Amino acid sequence: MAKYILQRLVYMFITLFVIATATFFLMQLLPGSPFNELGGKMTEAQEQILLEEYGLNDPVPVQYAKYMLGMVQGDLGVSFQYDNRSVTDIILDRIGPSAHLGAQALIIGSILGIILGMIAAIRHNTWVDYSSNVLAVIGISIPSFVFAGLLQYYFAVQWRIFPPSFWEGPIYTVLPTISLLIFPMAICARFMRTEMLEVLGSDYIELARAKGVSNSSIMFKHALRNALIPVITVLGPITVSLMTGTLVIEQIFAVPGIGEQFVRSISVNDYPVIMGTTMLFSVLFILVILIVDLLYGMIDPRIRITGGKD
Amino acid sequence: MDPILDVRHLHVFFDTYGGTVQAVRGVDFTLEKGETLAIVGESGSGKSVTVKALMGLVTKPAGHIPEGEILFEGKDLTKLSDKEMQKIRGKDISMIFQDPMTSLNPTMKIGKQIMESLILHQKLSKSEARNRAVELLELVGIPDPASRMNQYPHQFSGGMRQRVVIAIALACNPKVLLADEPTTALDVTIQAQILELMKEIQRKMETSIIFITHDLGVVANVADRVAVMYAGKIVEIGTVDDIFYHPKHPYTWGLLGSMPTVDSDDEKLMAIPGTPPDLINPPKGDAFAARNEYALQIDLEEEPPMFKVSDTHYAATWLLHGDAPDVEPSEAVKKRMKGIAKGNLSAGKENR
Repeated sequence: MAKYILQRLVYMFITLFVIATATFFLMQLLPGSPFNELGGKMTEAQEQILLEEYGLNDPVPVQYAKYMLGMVQGDLGVSFQYDNRSVTDIILDRIGPSAHLGAQALIIGSILGIILGMIAAIRHNTWVDYSSNVLAVIGISIPSFVFAGLLQYYFAVQWRIFPPSFWEGPIYTVLPTISLLIFPMAICARFMRTEMLEVLGSDYIELARAKGVSNSSIMFKHALRNALIPVITVLGPITVSLMTGTLVIEQIFAVPGIGEQFVRSISVNDYPVIMGTTMLFSVLFILVILIVDLLYGMIDPRIRITGGKD
Repeated sequence: MDPILDVRHLHVFFDTYGGTVQAVRGVDFTLEKGETLAIVGESGSGKSVTVKALMGLVTKPAGHIPEGEILFEGKDLTKLSDKEMQKIRGKDISMIFQDPMTSLNPTMKIGKQIMESLILHQKLSKSEARNRAVELLELVGIPDPASRMNQYPHQFSGGMRQRVVIAIALACNPKVLLADEPTTALDVTIQAQILELMKEIQRKMETSIIFITHDLGVVANVADRVAVMYAGKIVEIGTVDDIFYHPKHPYTWGLLGSMPTVDSDDEKLMAIPGTPPDLINPPKGDAFAARNEYALQIDLEEEPPMFKVSDTHYAATWLLHGDAPDVEPSEAVKKRMKGIAKGNLSAGKENR
């Protein structure tokens, strides 16, 4: 097990290296320079001094080598837009609300989805099933920012139940969380329904019935765990979509999260912050995949990972 | 003595998009204590559905029992609620499934799967159930049972899994054991072991067994009586000797003829021509008439009743009517029958 995780971590570093390199060179293609915004107020000479100071006049390969060397040592550079605050500092400052929002949406969304899918499977081909089906299709096909707008309009503006924006306490998390969790909930519900129906039709469920096991025990002791296996698979991609989803949702609800920071940094060519945030997302994504693989082993004994021979 | 199981006029229908499938269309039989009844017939003849109906495993709402009674110790099982049936399933009547590769829960430890019904029906504590489960695994011949308890199905071979399935079925000392082609998915060598095991257990526990199979060799080996099913009905029923030495129904002749024996020297296997009838619209008259080379005019018009051949032997064919011509199975079929009888019956008798 330890050996397996170690191996995965080595692959993770290779992947991160490739992502860092690709992002670095792609970023050079962004139009404009970091100091464009100040363009009118700065003379040519002043801009040259700034570019020189941040090393942006060096040939690109040299910049790349410098950046990578710094990154290996844990130095992600300094931001151009916040008076030389270090990128690490900015990320640490901003990650809290994003992580909170993402985790809340993922956990609540997937649990609700699993429950909904189970109910749909138990009552399949009834109105319960059909309506959960319609809900799932709506949830999958309509993007989260549409829900965000609707929720803001009704719950905040019209009925004044929840605050429309900002991040000042648990109640402020409600609307952004709901808009984010609809997608994972819908996907989980779809998968769960299909899997549950398949599992309920299997021989081992019939054998459990033949043992005289009650219907509820069959559901929870026999079927649930087996039906969860494929659902775990989609949790990885769902987490990624949540990460990108937060970019927009944080903007809409004015949540001071990393996504909002990321979008702003791209628009002002703040290279070190873009790089740092990309690396953070990559690390998170790779970790999520690793966790999903480990979860697999916990749920399905057939794919339990052992260190070498079994 | 009263039979332990008395099935009367059992019908099982399934509603599908194409119409109602009449899978079982009036089946009558009895099962005595300690006896083995084999049900044979080709795929789709209603053998498995009959057995599932006995277990109350015909899934509603698509499947239903419009007519008939299943009397078990005087109670009609078709009238029981799902809750009441749960108390009988796995305790008094249990079942061995066909495919050991798919009939165990892949994410549950073997021990837990066996203990489940013990805890449920016999109200044993966890540790008592555990001890009993180890005993059961030992009984079905699994080496090192205590450590095998903590393993998962994928760590067992097919034959070993079938032993586990049998152990689960035997857990509560059932009065009736329903075996739905328990050896079909296994290697021939393992098949013999499993059959031996079942016979041994039957001797020890006095269980009554209904054994579904389409392997006549197995029938000769294990059964006391045989019921031949075709298109949802029993067409012939009798003792093993009745069916193998004096079969009366042309379908039984066909079945016996289509089974190769070691000393059948002719190259061709004898197949029964045609396919079983559509059970959404069962044919008028005898369902087998279209495939029957001995069919009479009346077979196309009226269903034959069960004719009594002897006290133990009944067959549903108009050929047994007083006015019918005397018909004998062809020489080739007779030869096959002799071969089967010689090869298997003698072996089976020694074992019994």
